[in-house]
Amino acid sequence: MISDETLMAYADGEADAESRSQVEAAMREDPKIAARVEQHRALHELMRGAGSSVLDEPVPERLIAAARGRTLNAGVVDLSRAKGGRAARNAAARWRGWQPAAMAASLLLGLGVGYLGWHGSGALIRTGSGGGLVAAAGLADTLSSQLSDDRSPARVATTGVSFRAKTGEYCRTFTLAGADASSGLACHEGNGWKIKVLVQSAPEGSGTNFRTAASELSPAIRAAIDGAIEGEPLDHAGEVAARQAGWAPPH
Amino acid sequence: MSTNESVENIQEQIVALLPRLRRFARNLVRNPHDADDVVQIAVERALLRLDQWRSDARLDSWLFKILRNAWIDEVRARGRRAKIFMPEEAGEQVGEALMEREIDRLSTEAALARLPEDQRLAVGLVLVEGLSYKDAADVLEVPIGTLTSRLARGREALQGMLRLPQGDPS
Repeated sequence: MISDETLMAYADGEADAESRSQVEAAMREDPKIAARVEQHRALHELMRGAGSSVLDEPVPERLIAAARGRTLNAGVVDLSRAKGGRAARNAAARWRGWQPAAMAASLLLGLGVGYLGWHGSGALIRTGSGGGLVAAAGLADTLSSQLSDDRSPARVATTGVSFRAKTGEYCRTFTLAGADASSGLACHEGNGWKIKVLVQSAPEGSGTNFRTAASELSPAIRAAIDGAIEGEPLDHAGEVAARQAGWAPPH
Repeated sequence: MSTNESVENIQEQIVALLPRLRRFARNLVRNPHDADDVVQIAVERALLRLDQWRSDARLDSWLFKILRNAWIDEVRARGRRAKIFMPEEAGEQVGEALMEREIDRLSTEAALARLPEDQRLAVGLVLVEGLSYKDAADVLEVPIGTLTSRLARGREALQGMLRLPQGDPS
């Protein structure tokens, strides 16, 4: 007796020579077996086209850019090169230059193409002494004081998730609305918040809630969180404790 | 990956595979936008790990494997974030509902989408994407016997849903 899985494998062209000749002999003797093999073949043929309408859709630019080692869609700022003017650098050449040891850090910085059109949200984000971006004024205050479940209408920024990074410091995601619409990841270093990834939101027009959620969850930020996080994000009590300690790394 | 040419060459091969990566991703993730996000994460990861790709392996199955693992990580990370993260995902719900309607029109997609994940992925990789049993088992990181039994069960269920003649004609 030949198992149905053997018939299936035969129909899929996966049978070895021995089982192939067994199946073929059985098919000659028993039309039911031949019919069953034919069913397996027909189903394979039918399923071959399943979901193929997506093949005819234009591939989003951001995916093509990602495959070529660039991330250009949302204007992810690569903070290792956040000084103006170096934006147009060839991204492919840049990633080729990465050393393996630097890769984790590069992911944390976002796979950005540069300082794309970041029109400087003036007071909230500025260039720090080291050349990177830092949170300033209202954004710095928000990151230091506002808990993630705060949804008061007067807030300067929405804080999303807080966590300890593998490197020890506390990091938080934030979202700015309005003219500065953007999302980012900031980590507390020294006395301030260094911005590790900054993603500008899509231009106006889309619904605000959805846009907020979409940009907060942008792949670059997600990848940065997943690459940097140690353990679980902080819960409410964890945030309160970290805030109380001034976001200084625990010992 | 010793030369720049070979890196660029592989990048272009990945670009050419994007439509199929998107198709496979939609088999994993219902929401098309989320599916594209997973493709993007997978492609970014693949570029960081090009040195791990053996050129005797199929590039498509290597990428499928990275994509599947990216999705697993994403599900895990979402579970983690969902505990405290933003509740504002109404937009995605709309997307899901639209997908549901569309699926109802398309019988093979509808049937595939209703399979349990294990079977859906086995069917997707072998029947839709045309991978060998061995490559598909490798993508899913299961023994080949597990792959074939998932595939057999998936086909049995599909035949019922698509109202094809059942397994035991008599």
